[in-house]
Order: sequence, then C-alpha cells, then structure tokens
Amino acid sequence: MTSNNFLIQLNNFTYQYPHTANNALKSINLSLKKGSFVGFAGPTGAGKTTLIKSINGIVPHFEGGTFSGEVLLNGKAADTMSTAEIGRSVGTVLDDPEAQIICLDVEQELVFGMENYGVPPAEMEQRMQKALASVGIAHLLGRSTASLSGGQKQRLAIAAALAMLPEVLVLDEPTSELDPLGSEEVFRVLKQLHQEQGMTILVTEQKTDLLARYCDQLVILREGEMVLSGTPREVFQHQDIFELGVALPEVTELARRYYPQAEPPITLDEGVQFCRNVILSFGG
Amino acid sequence: MNPVIKINGLSFGYEFGDSVLKDIYLEISPGEMVALVGQNGAGKTTLVKHLIGLLRPPAGKVSVADLDVANTRISKLSRQVGYVFQNPDHQIFHDTVQAEVAFGLNNLGLPREEVEPRVTAALSDVGLEHLAHENPQRLSRGQRQRVALASVLALRTPVIVLDEPTTGQDYQERKQIMALVEQLNKAGHTIVFITHDMSLVAHYASRVVVLCQGRIILDGDTREVFRQTDKLAESLLLPPQVTVLANQLNEPLNTSVSPVILSVDEMQDYLQRVREVKRNGTGD
Amino acid sequence: MARVIEYIYRDSIIHQLNPVSKLAWALGVMVLALTFNDPYYLLALLLSVGLVGLTGRVLKDLSGVMKGLSIFALILVLLQVIFYHGAYQEAIALGIAMGLRMMTVVLSFLVFLSTTQYKDIILVLTEKMKLPYDYVFMFMTSLRFVPTFLNEAIQVGYAQQVRGCPIDSGNPWRKMKAYIAVALPLVLISLKKAERLAIAMETRGYGSNNRTYYKEPVISTLDYFVIFLVVILIIGAIILRCKGLGVLH
Repeated sequence: MTSNNFLIQLNNFTYQYPHTANNALKSINLSLKKGSFVGFAGPTGAGKTTLIKSINGIVPHFEGGTFSGEVLLNGKAADTMSTAEIGRSVGTVLDDPEAQIICLDVEQELVFGMENYGVPPAEMEQRMQKALASVGIAHLLGRSTASLSGGQKQRLAIAAALAMLPEVLVLDEPTSELDPLGSEEVFRVLKQLHQEQGMTILVTEQKTDLLARYCDQLVILREGEMVLSGTPREVFQHQDIFELGVALPEVTELARRYYPQAEPPITLDEGVQFCRNVILSFGG
Repeated sequence: MNPVIKINGLSFGYEFGDSVLKDIYLEISPGEMVALVGQNGAGKTTLVKHLIGLLRPPAGKVSVADLDVANTRISKLSRQVGYVFQNPDHQIFHDTVQAEVAFGLNNLGLPREEVEPRVTAALSDVGLEHLAHENPQRLSRGQRQRVALASVLALRTPVIVLDEPTTGQDYQERKQIMALVEQLNKAGHTIVFITHDMSLVAHYASRVVVLCQGRIILDGDTREVFRQTDKLAESLLLPPQVTVLANQLNEPLNTSVSPVILSVDEMQDYLQRVREVKRNGTGD
Repeated sequence: MARVIEYIYRDSIIHQLNPVSKLAWALGVMVLALTFNDPYYLLALLLSVGLVGLTGRVLKDLSGVMKGLSIFALILVLLQVIFYHGAYQEAIALGIAMGLRMMTVVLSFLVFLSTTQYKDIILVLTEKMKLPYDYVFMFMTSLRFVPTFLNEAIQVGYAQQVRGCPIDSGNPWRKMKAYIAVALPLVLISLKKAERLAIAMETRGYGSNNRTYYKEPVISTLDYFVIFLVVILIIGAIILRCKGLGVLH
C-alpha cells in the first residue's frame, strides 16, 4: 500500500465535533515521512489535540462528528481501520499522567497493550526490557505506578506505547502537568528515540522553547488551520509569528528586534554567539 | 508596615512520610507580590495551604491578618485570604458562570443587592462578562480558570493566593491572567503565587521565595534571587533564558557588579550599554 | 484510609498463594462467620484470620482500618443493648457477635485484596470463573481509582471551603447542602477522567481479540491443601451447627 514514502498523510482533512458549530480542523494538508520529529504549537482551541486525535483514530471513531478529506496511515485510510488496529502502528501519550496510567504497577502497565494484542508472553519480557531501557527507567520495574513522579509517569506512558512497537508516537501536550525538570526529561527521551531508533514523533506543546530545541519541523495552527510550517528557525523568522499567539524563545525575540529579516538564533548557545556579534558590530 | 502574613517556625509532615516543611520563617507585608518557586515536592502547596487553615500547623505559628490560623475557622479566614486552586474543575459546579461566581458571596450571607454588582465587577475584571450566562463546562480550560479566579476575586479579600494559575494555558492566556494579577496587586491586594514559569516570576514578582526540600533556601528581591545562580541550581531551577544569556555573555561594564537581566527589554538596554562602553574604549 | 484496598508489596507465603485459594478462603471465612453466632467461636475465627494477615505481613497496614471497624462494632453492640427486647446479657452477647462477625468478614477480604494483585484477581475471575472480561476489568479498575477519587474529594472539599462553603458547619441541613457543592464537581471530574482513561485504553488495543496473559499464577500443592482445608472446615462447621453447637440459646 505504500505507493509513496509518506507514513502519515492528511489530505484536505476537515473535521467537526458533534454538537458544535465550527470545524475544529479546516482543510489540513500534511505529509510526513518516516523519521520525522514534528512539533505542533498554537493557542488553545487551535486544533492541536484534534489533529493528534485524528491520527490515532480517536477522531472520528471515539468522538463521533463529521469529516471530509482523508487521513492515511501507510497509505491506508484511517477511517476504515478500528482504533485498536491503528493502535498497533500509532502509540499515544496524553497530557494527564494520572488519567492515562491504567494499571497499578509498572510491569502491568507495560504489558497491558501487549496482552490486548495477543503478544506471546515470552516476547513480552524482551519488549518490556527494551522499552524501559529506551526511556531510561529500567530500574523502576516492580514499582507501583502511584509512587512515580510526574516525569517518570510520562516516561512510563511512552515506554508502554513503545512496547507495542509502533511506527509513530503521537503525544498531546505531554509536559503540561510537569515541572521544567520533568518536561526536559520527556523531551530528551523523545530526542533519543528519534536519533537512535529513527522513531517518527508528533508532539503538541505550549513550551515553544522545547520545540525549538528538539524538533526538526514546527507547525503552527490557528483556529483549525495550519498557518505556518517549516524548521523551527524558518517559522520563528516568519513575519507573522508575533500575531499567532505562540511564545518565542527569548533569544529569538531579542534577535528579531535587531534583525527582523535575518535567520534568528533559537537556542541559548546561538543566542550568546548572536549577542557577541551584536556587540562586535558596534565595538572596536 | 505590620506584616499581613507571619509564619514563625512552621514545620509540617503528613501522617505517613517525611516532613514536608522544615522550620519555615516568612513575613509578607501588605501589598507585596511574592512568587513561591521550587521543584515538585518542595512543599510549595503545603505551605500555602497553611495560610487559609486547610492544614493546621503542628509546630510553629501561622497568622494571617492577626488571626491565628491554628484556631480560626476556614470560613472566617476565607474573608481575609482568597485561594485560587490549580485545577478549576475542583470547584466549578454551577450551570452558569454567574452563579459560580456568586457562590462564595452567598456563603458569606451577603444581601442580593450586594452580590450582583460584585459578580458583575469580578467578571468584568477577568474579561468574561459576555459569558455570564454560559455554562462553565462549555468553556475552555483557560476560561474556566478565569471563572475560578473571578469567584475568588468577588470575595474581595486583602490577600490572594494562586496555586499555579497558568498551568495548562497558552501564551496569551498566561499573559492575561498575570496582567490581571498584577492589576490586583496594584489595587492593593497582597499576592502570593506558585509557579514553575521563571519568566513569569521575572516579569511579575517583586519578591521570590525559593523552597527546596521543605526549607526556604532563598528569599529576597527578584533580581537578587536570580543573581544566586549556584543556590538556584541546587534547587534545580533555571532562571529565564535572557538571564542566563546575560550571565554567559559576562561582558564587564564599568560597574563592579554584573547586572541581572530579567526581560528581553532589559537585555536590549544592556547590549546598548555594553556597546557604548566598548565604543568609548573603557570596556577592556 | 485511602490505601485500604490497595495491593501491598510484600514477600510472603500468602502473597504467593494462587488467588483462587485465597478467594476460597475468604468466602469460607464468610460462611463460617455466618454459621455461628457464639462470640467465642467468632472470636476464634477472627483470631485465625488475624493470624493469616500476620503471616501475609499486612496486618500492621490494616490496623488503622480495624481500629475504625472496632468503633463501628462497639456502636453495633450499643444499638443491640438499646433496641433489643430481652435480657440485657443476651443483647450484649448478640451485639458482640454481630460486631465480631463484621470484623472477621471485612478483615478476611482485606487480607485477600492486600495480598493479591489486581491483575491476578482479574485473570482468575475471567479465565477460571469465566466472567466476561469487560465487566471484570471495569469493576477492578474502578476499585483501583478509589484512592484517586478520595484524593480528589479532599481537593474539592478544600476548594469549596475556601469559598466559605460551610462543610464544617454544625447545622446538619447546611452541612448537607454544602456536600452537594463537593459531590457535583467530583462527579464532573470523574466523568472527565473516565473519558480520558477510555481513550488511553482504546489507543492501547483494549477490546481487540485473542488476548494473552503475561504471567499466569501457578497452582501449587499448598493451594490444593488450602482449598481442601476450607472445604473440610465448612463441612465441619455445618455438622457442629446441626448439633446445635456454636449458637446462642
């Protein structure tokens, strides 16, 4: 079925939740290859969560509502597959660490999905070890889920998704309930999965400086539409970025005050270099 | 001025587990705007719960507006201290925004002629007067947070405590909420807010209290606290990006102390001054 | 109280028993407790249950609950004394019997729940007793969320109290009205959580066919022995009861 190289394709996808007046997503066109690391940003109500849900099948299977256009996973229309079927290739992590941990202990949480899909018990052991090691919590096997910190819970949720050997991970604001340390923890794990295992990752996030540092591609949504897409640098360089209700990294904001048209720095190190140049350009 | 909040040698531990607060001394004067920061589990929420009697001090003394918290009913303390919880869903249950905001006032036993104008004023403060007759369950998380805030504002307490008022909100909503809090502070309210967002602290707080494992390890003027990078690192907190940027740049000016930069505006001024110093050849 | 029905991680011979034999034991204790109403018999039964709890190294964790239950038992005795039409001593004996009976049954189930993992209970109920997986899973999962729910209830209580809601009022009518302010947000929050949980489960293949189980609890000779013992005890109890032993009058 892979007539093209795209793992995920949204073609003119429009969706409306039941009992609402407006479309939550409007004519979304998005094609992503295997190995992409894409961040989605935008104000509340922009459609970020809905976009994630339309890739893991919760929209429209669970939510109902009406849609037009199509979502293709490996070239196959998502609406012809059940959520459980989609779950084999799309692993999901939600925002609330409390509400998505289903079981009482780490081991059971990891095997929950595998048991549902009928994975042979001998193989579960192996997959479990690998998933835990991938997110750096191998030492937590045997602990109760209630005893974990927020960051550990989110990493467990990622591991539980990984144990099902998905082709893509989708994460809906995975750090919204975490402190800065926990947020960094989660993104470091994502980066590692992307680099070492070539995992395809789609993540929505309010903390744009995390997206700037970790993602290859940044998509800005507003009122259900995709308004900007490109590398984080390209997006932050765009003249309209200030009107889109997303926070810029402070170094980027600073640089744009000096050179609105030029490529801005997006990380702290680049910011330091930028400031040195600014000083030099007037000094000496 | 006579402090409105006095905490004298407070220690606290839950029934099972380690002590959460150790030997806390803190005095807050009327009209201050204090940010309470620290990692998850540092004891921030436990500390502020003592300000309104949700927890009673087993050791030490806590008094608010000259009321001893240990033996004052919550209903009496709630006339002095307004408390906005992190999750608005923990309080919202009426079917209109208006009724939700009136709830606390009705509990106080105020006559109807007084309740109505107060509700209207509070809703207009948070910018939700147009949604007064809407069902709060149909609003966004950010809007519900503002409903919760309005319901506390309406009580017109001299002290307002906010526990992570911006969690789960987008960039614009965060700015709106904090602008409102700042306005309340200017109108004379004493504000204590908990947050993980260091740029909010840098922008809005006049004083910062840093908790680490149940102890206050830093307490002072915002700029002075952000100067203590070592101590902040000890409690695993990272100052705003521009603050770190200025630190790493480490450009000597003709003053003996390097400045602490709190915002992009300040950074711009700082660079300007560095350039002038360089141009006049006094920098090196 | 929040941790009453949680699994307690310990290593003991009771933990290693198959859930089937532990369930048989708990049910057996219940039958025995209902068979007799002589306080001495019931006291002996309660002590035996306590001994099992001790062997399972969970008795200490359950002591808080047992304290609460004994207060409840005292109230039962008191009610008997007040409302029983008959001899004063008879009333006390009957009251004590009722109290002991309740404590015995509750403690045996607490020991069962605190030494048996949920997944094993689910597995036994579905695979061995052939109950439908969906219902069993839903029931056990709702039990799993009881501590979370209690915690939310405390938070909601706080949030309403700081708005002057008279939860601590002495007036029962006002107090009852105040509890509505706690109950409603709690229901709304629980519905939201349930929806999230359902989504989390759906995306992890809940409801696909051909499920497997990672670890199935083994049945050892000790398990056969326990089940055998429970059966013998029940038969013995019935014989004693028919002979009129262990019953007052």
